[in-house]
Amino acid sequence: MDFGRPQQGDRVRLRMRNLYILPTRFGWLWLAGTVLMQVIGVQMQSNGTLLLSFLMLSLFLLTLHLTHFNLQGVELGCGAPAPGFAGDPVAYPIQMHCPGRSEGVRLRLGGEAAGPPLSLPAGEHEFGVAWRPPGRGWHKPGLLRVQTTAPLGLFCCWSRWYPGAAQLIYPARRAGPVRLLAGANPPLAGEPAVASPQEGSEDWRDLAPHRPQDSPSRLAWKLLAQGRGEYAKRFLDQPETAPLLAPEPGLPLEVALEHLSERIWSYHGHGLSYGLVLPSHSVEAGRGVVHRDQCLAALACCR
Amino acid sequence: MSRAAAPLQWLTMGLLAVGLLGLSPTLSLSLLAFGLAVLTALKLREARSLEERRVVALLQLVGAGLLAALRPELGPSLLQGLAILMALAGLLALELGAGPDWKALLRRSLQVLVAALPIALVLFLLLPRLMPFSNFGAGQGMGAMTGLSDSMEPGSIARLAVSREAAARVAFPLGGAPPALEQRYWRVLVHERFDGRRWRSAAPRLPRPPAGQPTPPPPPPATPGEGIQLWLIEPSGLSAVPWSGAGRPLSADLTLQRSGELQNRAPGSQRRVYALTQAADQGDWRTEPPRPIDLVLPRGENPRLEALATTWGRLGSNRERLDAAGSWFRGQPFRYTLEPGALPRQAPLDHFLFETRLGFCGHYASAFTTLMRAAGVPARVVSGYRGGQWVQPVGGSGYVDLRQADAHAWSEVWLEGEGWQRVDPTAWADGDSLARTLAAGADRAGIPPWDWLQQQWWGLDIAWARWWLGYDSEQQQALVRRLLGDHRHLLGLVVLLAVALSLAASLGGLGWLGRRRSGDPLRLELERTLRAFARQGMAPQAGETLPVFAQRLAQRWPGLAGPLDDFVGHYQRQRFASTPSRMGRRQARRLGRVLRRSLRTGNRSKEAVQREHP
Repeated sequence: MDFGRPQQGDRVRLRMRNLYILPTRFGWLWLAGTVLMQVIGVQMQSNGTLLLSFLMLSLFLLTLHLTHFNLQGVELGCGAPAPGFAGDPVAYPIQMHCPGRSEGVRLRLGGEAAGPPLSLPAGEHEFGVAWRPPGRGWHKPGLLRVQTTAPLGLFCCWSRWYPGAAQLIYPARRAGPVRLLAGANPPLAGEPAVASPQEGSEDWRDLAPHRPQDSPSRLAWKLLAQGRGEYAKRFLDQPETAPLLAPEPGLPLEVALEHLSERIWSYHGHGLSYGLVLPSHSVEAGRGVVHRDQCLAALACCR
Repeated sequence: MSRAAAPLQWLTMGLLAVGLLGLSPTLSLSLLAFGLAVLTALKLREARSLEERRVVALLQLVGAGLLAALRPELGPSLLQGLAILMALAGLLALELGAGPDWKALLRRSLQVLVAALPIALVLFLLLPRLMPFSNFGAGQGMGAMTGLSDSMEPGSIARLAVSREAAARVAFPLGGAPPALEQRYWRVLVHERFDGRRWRSAAPRLPRPPAGQPTPPPPPPATPGEGIQLWLIEPSGLSAVPWSGAGRPLSADLTLQRSGELQNRAPGSQRRVYALTQAADQGDWRTEPPRPIDLVLPRGENPRLEALATTWGRLGSNRERLDAAGSWFRGQPFRYTLEPGALPRQAPLDHFLFETRLGFCGHYASAFTTLMRAAGVPARVVSGYRGGQWVQPVGGSGYVDLRQADAHAWSEVWLEGEGWQRVDPTAWADGDSLARTLAAGADRAGIPPWDWLQQQWWGLDIAWARWWLGYDSEQQQALVRRLLGDHRHLLGLVVLLAVALSLAASLGGLGWLGRRRSGDPLRLELERTLRAFARQGMAPQAGETLPVFAQRLAQRWPGLAGPLDDFVGHYQRQRFASTPSRMGRRQARRLGRVLRRSLRTGNRSKEAVQREHP
């Protein structure tokens, strides 16, 4: 069942005016079964069969209301959507406030398949409903269909709503060439222009007496074995020069952005510093989650 | 789809299969039920999608409905009810996601079923019944065994086995009692055709009415003064059913033949339930004049018998001939036995009457009837049941329990001015079982426990037959008359209103069940008590422990100090006990109740004091 006027806005309260209910195909079959039972009961003058036929009719009447009550008074809202990548299913946060118990609720966004039925006790609930965004940029997920056929599957009660909050979608991650502007090595914020060695984990340069808080992996086992005492190795890192990433020339912009997206993701995974230079926008070198998201957002909104 | 869905649906299939076991495969509707069950099982086996599984549940419900039409008795009905509950639970399990377990599903389906029941009952009780559309399937043969048979040939039976199987039960719902034990003759078949050896029923098999023919109008209901006999008979291969010979049938399916047989042409339920009025008047079959067939006798088969009868034939009236035969029988050393040995093919009745003088009811009825015919008295053999034990179940109305061992044969002779009269020549023989029973006292003492249980169950069965199976369109009309009196035109409105009310009540009830708080009973009890205090304006402050709050309460209501101490102390002990006990929870509920009651009474007395001393 998928028709009816969709609701707009950040929050929507489901009520008589925006809930639709119709018998399912199984519901019509059930009615046919009821008629069959009535015919057999009348023909055989059997009280048991007649009562069953009336019971089935009564269940039909009852579930009409029970199905409707599953969604009646439910409030739908959207949470703050976390950004996601194009090309992958993205979770869109839907908040539900149920005044009573809601059974068999299924949520469906856009053209996706409906999720599994959820039985929700009264109270606040939040779900991530998966959808597949069409491309990068700010997108609204389209039509949300909320429906239930519980308890007996005789009726389908549904409503349609366009959630208001847009979700930021980064370009899809695709491995490929990226232009590295290595010449312009801007210093990291707050550091001298020439990178000086700093304590790190790359090369070990020195030994110092071992302190209890030092990691056992830094213990100079060889010296210990030779009976020369407990020493800890001291390591030094040479800071890399942070590269500036830019779209590969000669490639369509969208493809180049997808390469950049993948590169940023992998640099972040390796804990490297990087900057970003785009035609309309540039981000200085840095690292960390905030920096990564800033760069990816710049990619998503690049024109 | 819950994991419990598939096991529940298979369990339902199992219940339906058990229900099918008792069906006779000769009925076409039974075959339909078998076929439906097999198809449903196959569908369940291959079903993968939700839609298919739903259809399986519907097929199961239809199967249960079909079974209900075929086996309306109490035991099978309970089984069918259980199957319906399971089918609904299976359907619920399909919709409610992976979560709920068996217990929750069964509870929920029971809730839904109970909620739907009031509406169904309103419709069932008040909606006018339709009559069957046609007589399709009427009068189908019933397979089974019985102590009675269409033909009777006692001479060929050397040894009669006694079967204690149930044959029928008759109850007298509107009070009234069965006839005295020596008068309990329940007639079934009338055998008029005699070929010298075998007695056959002369009544033609009831022709099956052609389809489309209007059904006969239902007979008028019993008038208030008339008693009612309610019969439940076990399957038999006969279309004739037992009755006492007096009264008239209350069902259109039963027709009374001129010979006094009650013929049944109802569509094929295996067991039959029917009602008769218990009129004192003699039915008109008794005055139906004899036909030539009632005097037919193959001459020359039993020469000594014929010679004896010829001497009686010279007497003036049938009554005198009957008396002469009676005194002759009583003067001979006849003995009742179940092992008389087979009679010779030549002159079998001569052999019985003048040589062995050993036999059971069939021998006596056959020989006596032949004698009467040879003496020129129209006579016939009647078979049915004699006696029967009066059973008074605990908390129910009594009934007469007839077993196959109570099967009996006797004679009927035509007396001018009196009509057909029953004569039981077996009673003249020495060692007749009924005479023994009468001598030993009416009730058989020392019933084994299993038989006692069975009698109680049959008592329930009779009640079920009376209240449930007996609710037909006449009962329904009577109920509507009683409820609405002269305003029967308002029936539609009343039904609609009653359905709407039941629907509202059911939805309200389900809503209440849904809102009912679940969780830790100890905590619920505490919250209930705290709410009672909150209504009086006392609520715990932030960071205040329960004992401190209790002290504060005790300061305001010094009279509550005792109950408060008890409740709070018990709550603390239970809360921090390693294993909270069921007894402890019950005790907490009790103490909470005491505390709240003390609070209410304390307040009332305070208000009273304030009213007196404003």
